[in-house]
Amino acid sequence: MISRISIIIISIVALTIGLSFDIERAYDTNGDIRLYKALASIGYRSVDHLPDTSVKGLSAAVGEDIVKYGISKREGENKSKRQSKHFVCTSCHNIEREDPDLSVSDPEARLAYTLDKGIPLLPATTLYGAVNRTSFYNGDYEKKYGDLVKPARDDIREAIQLCAVECAQGRKLHDWEVESVLAYLWTLDLKLNDLMMTDTEKQTVATALDGEGKEIDAIQILESKYLKYSPAHFVDPMERGKNKFNITGNAQNGQKVYENSCFHCHYRNKYSYFNLDNSRLTFSFLENKADKYSRYSIYEVIRHGTFSKHGKASYMPRFPKEKMSDQQIEDLRAYINLMAE
Amino acid sequence: MKVKYIIIGLFACLGAVASAQEDTQGRAVYGTFGDRRIINTQSIETLPARKLDFRIAHRFGDLAGDSGGWPTFYGLENAADVLIGFEYGLTDNITLGLGRTKGSGPLKQLINMFVKYKVLSQGLNNMPVSVAVVGLTSASTMQKSETEGVLHFFESPIHRWNYHLGIHAARKFNDRLSAQLTGSWTYRNIVPAEDQNAIVSLGFAGKAQLTKAIGIIIDTSVPLSSFRTSENGFYPVLGLGVEFTTGGGHSFQMNFTNVEGLSETDFIPYSQSNIGDGEFRLGFTISRLFNL
Repeated sequence: MISRISIIIISIVALTIGLSFDIERAYDTNGDIRLYKALASIGYRSVDHLPDTSVKGLSAAVGEDIVKYGISKREGENKSKRQSKHFVCTSCHNIEREDPDLSVSDPEARLAYTLDKGIPLLPATTLYGAVNRTSFYNGDYEKKYGDLVKPARDDIREAIQLCAVECAQGRKLHDWEVESVLAYLWTLDLKLNDLMMTDTEKQTVATALDGEGKEIDAIQILESKYLKYSPAHFVDPMERGKNKFNITGNAQNGQKVYENSCFHCHYRNKYSYFNLDNSRLTFSFLENKADKYSRYSIYEVIRHGTFSKHGKASYMPRFPKEKMSDQQIEDLRAYINLMAE
Repeated sequence: MKVKYIIIGLFACLGAVASAQEDTQGRAVYGTFGDRRIINTQSIETLPARKLDFRIAHRFGDLAGDSGGWPTFYGLENAADVLIGFEYGLTDNITLGLGRTKGSGPLKQLINMFVKYKVLSQGLNNMPVSVAVVGLTSASTMQKSETEGVLHFFESPIHRWNYHLGIHAARKFNDRLSAQLTGSWTYRNIVPAEDQNAIVSLGFAGKAQLTKAIGIIIDTSVPLSSFRTSENGFYPVLGLGVEFTTGGGHSFQMNFTNVEGLSETDFIPYSQSNIGDGEFRLGFTISRLFNL
């Protein structure tokens, strides 16, 4: 049994003898207790994909550059080739927490939360807390990537490489780059304060961490407060005209979807050649295309995305239902109709 | 002189409607024109950084007149000029260009290189217009003639080179309407005896966006020269076209223009086709962007 003080002592010792990496810190810079360390301190090793510190050039700062800008530079070497001409990790992933309750994946709650935090609503899961997950490319991603997801399901390094090559349509990362990305992701791991716990649950966990309570109870509480994987279900677009789900769109919410999600890639051609703005011409175009079975229909392109092809590698990823709800799409439609009038 | 008054009038109109500025919330106005070129003239648009543009442009033969009509299938069986070129966005405000044109003037087989720098952006710091400067140089790679007295005798290698400097000021009034004024200086190292080396010209261009994908574009360029008159066989540069933007990185343009050349050092000094005589042609430009 290791108390909080013991964790700190161990961390200091480990740092002193030079064997440790950031992961060895029990607290983040704000003093929040790291979930991984908390679980480890009560005897539960929740994940085992720590960075390999023996790899030459490993650096969380380099990992951050790769994630944000797609470039890397190992000490004493020239800048490496840009990872992808088309995307960076943050094209599709936030690096901040994006859900109010980490134990559920709710696009409605996420939209409100991301708006409040000033971050976009994106088709892929945030990298915040990625290292606390045990499974990747879940659910229907197998339909899109086939057998490529098999090695990535249980291996974060393979998931990073799959993301680099298939999702970002770029080059494979070098080993030291993968380890650096992993090191950076470990700076975005979950803290106890991220979890929605009742006062009683907090007390149970705190007591266990102090070595005076039942560890199993604390482990169960902590493990139930966040998703160990990101669910993804691909669904068909709504049937246009018939509105079979009988959903009435809310234009006000639709504006939020348009500006907080669509604009992330399309405003001023940031990642896409298809420019979106607030002009009536644009809304009229989207309204006219909405009921067509083409990539310019919001229903089609949100639910099916577009595909990378030879000569045009960049594409639009699809939104699983966990990333955008039917209601949100219909809200978007209502906003487009309103603005096109 | 009448032309000067027209140009001055257009400047005045531009100023008069300056208050109708698009709301950009302090950001630079985006998409004044759909392409880096309008029809013949460069626009104020630059490529985003690390984008490569591959373009092919074509000017067919005279649609009507002595050289057009049925014998040439209304000019489609002749190529007045052809451009194959690349443009690259060094930064968001600096674009480099390299292209080969067939050449329509006395000097042919031209290699054209240009640098475009967007100096000012409409909307930033309450700037009412965007301004871009283009510096272009064109070198003829045609074989030296043995006949003394023709332009491609190339007594000196410098005679192969021509230059062009253009200053473009454009304003996007709203989602549908954009206009541009151009002042330019074109210099040829060798010209026919009676001609002038340096030509100053003024130009106007506009775009009316009909739908998100389709816009009508016009442009004109008028040399300020007492020599370049219709009596001497010179006519203002005129162009009218339709621009299609697919949203997938493609831009396609169809146009009608009286000039044959595609390079500024060609179509400004050698604008000798008279629309009134049926000497205008169909042209097109295909542009495709690539991420680099």
